[in-house]
Amino acid sequence: MTEMPLLKLSTYTHRRTLSKSVKRAKNTEILYIIFYIPTKTQKLGQVKERIEMSVKSDTEASAAIIIKDLVKRFEDVTAVDGVNLEIKKGELFSLLGPNGAGKTTTINILCGILKPTEGTAIVGGYDVKKSLKDVKALIGVCPQKAAVFKFLNARENIELFGSLHAIPKKELKERTDSFLEALDLKASSKRKAKGYSGGMLRKLNLIVALISNPEIAFLDEPTVGMDPRARRATWEFIRSLKEQNKTIILTTHYIEEAEALSDRVGIIDYGKLIELGAPKDLLKKHETKNLEEVFLKITGRRILEGI
Amino acid sequence: MTYQSFVALVKMELKKLIRQPSNLFLMLLFPAVLTLLFGIAFTDPEYGMGINLLVPGLIAYACIFIIMTIAQSFSTQRQEGLLRRMNTTPMTASEFMGSHIATNMIIAILQVIVVFILAVLIGFRPNTGVEGILLAIPIAALFSISSVGLGLITATVSKTPEAATGLSFVFILPQMFFGTFIPITETTRPIARFIPSYYMVDALTLIFEGEWTNTNILLDVGVISIISVAIIALGILLFRKYGNV
Repeated sequence: MTEMPLLKLSTYTHRRTLSKSVKRAKNTEILYIIFYIPTKTQKLGQVKERIEMSVKSDTEASAAIIIKDLVKRFEDVTAVDGVNLEIKKGELFSLLGPNGAGKTTTINILCGILKPTEGTAIVGGYDVKKSLKDVKALIGVCPQKAAVFKFLNARENIELFGSLHAIPKKELKERTDSFLEALDLKASSKRKAKGYSGGMLRKLNLIVALISNPEIAFLDEPTVGMDPRARRATWEFIRSLKEQNKTIILTTHYIEEAEALSDRVGIIDYGKLIELGAPKDLLKKHETKNLEEVFLKITGRRILEGI
Repeated sequence: MTYQSFVALVKMELKKLIRQPSNLFLMLLFPAVLTLLFGIAFTDPEYGMGINLLVPGLIAYACIFIIMTIAQSFSTQRQEGLLRRMNTTPMTASEFMGSHIATNMIIAILQVIVVFILAVLIGFRPNTGVEGILLAIPIAALFSISSVGLGLITATVSKTPEAATGLSFVFILPQMFFGTFIPITETTRPIARFIPSYYMVDALTLIFEGEWTNTNILLDVGVISIISVAIIALGILLFRKYGNV
């Protein structure tokens, strides 16, 4: 005779509490019947989706991003061609590849800017096709081109984007000060962005992306146009985010940047993910000195060729 | 819609007006200059057009140019990747569009005040008291919604801010000729009936002439409301679908 599981009734009003309890329930003999009261902004379907994600395998539960058979076509061009990838929570993952390889398109799909033609993209437990609003609340995006309001100064830009994330005023001011300090922009924070150098704009671009303290940050070539000193300062800043257990997805053309910062790298070319692993493992596997050589060995061309 | 996002967006749009000289000129200085210029040039009764007849048209004229600034603003923000970036935040479409509508209503109100004060200084004597100007303000604000919508439609089809400037005249010129201070004849009236500014000028003229009880004012306001809602809805729909955000 099968032993009846112990029943336990629980009511949850907070998503985090619910997730923890689902995890706990999986490891016990207790069958939990969970009542989850969605907040005003959540639909029941989204909650169900999140619960389903939580009770899936441990690997999937610990993943910040899951991409399955992702395809993006623009008329007759296939920019992303069947990419499968899992990025763990707290991981710093770099996506490498020449221009037009599909890096930015992949990131744009994960941020909800573009809709995938086929496949699934799950960000922070939410399907980007079904629960984009929840995805947007979790992410910070640093676009390739510095997108800031030129007639506003640095502080005003940061506070505007912070307000769009509904960060309380006091917290926003404190965070703005600390970010401006960390990236050496405090002295020029009251100057209009119009008069900023390329490097200063890139720094501001990065701060704006991270002001919401996102769980998952997409940094699309964040150090392009920076001098070596500014680049090093930015690396330190990115490392400090990783120490806070943030998931960071970085695209870059700078091989040494990917080697220095990443837990794992994925190499993408013609829309396909052609190599994946920790930098050290890839160097060992391909018996090369750097990732550029790995890429050259796999594809027969250099990453920088497309630039 | 969160209050914090909405207020932050309105503040940003108003800062743009103040800090970008071209916007400030087009929105506030241009109507002022035009009022002075036309006021001085046409106050001679020999021309048949007193300043009293010009003021409603001048107010409409100022509000019409919101089309150009909106079209330029959206095209620029799209070109600079700002719309795309804002689209990755939890900001909702209603917060974004609501802030644009609110900002341009504020601008329209400022335009009415600027034109009205200058017109009074050069001899405008409406046959109404303060209540006239108080009623003109919400009508101009309501009309500005249609200009925001037409600006969005212009931005949808314009690839660059420069193209947006040029294309905005497709909507500005008919309103200038058929719905400001250029006299409407019986021949041009059937065309003017399709122009939103015609109804605004008609309503303001009746108000400034002191014809409070004229039911045409209600009819004009009704038409402006319907046109504004229809155009802004169409503008939002087209921009979201084809605006390449």
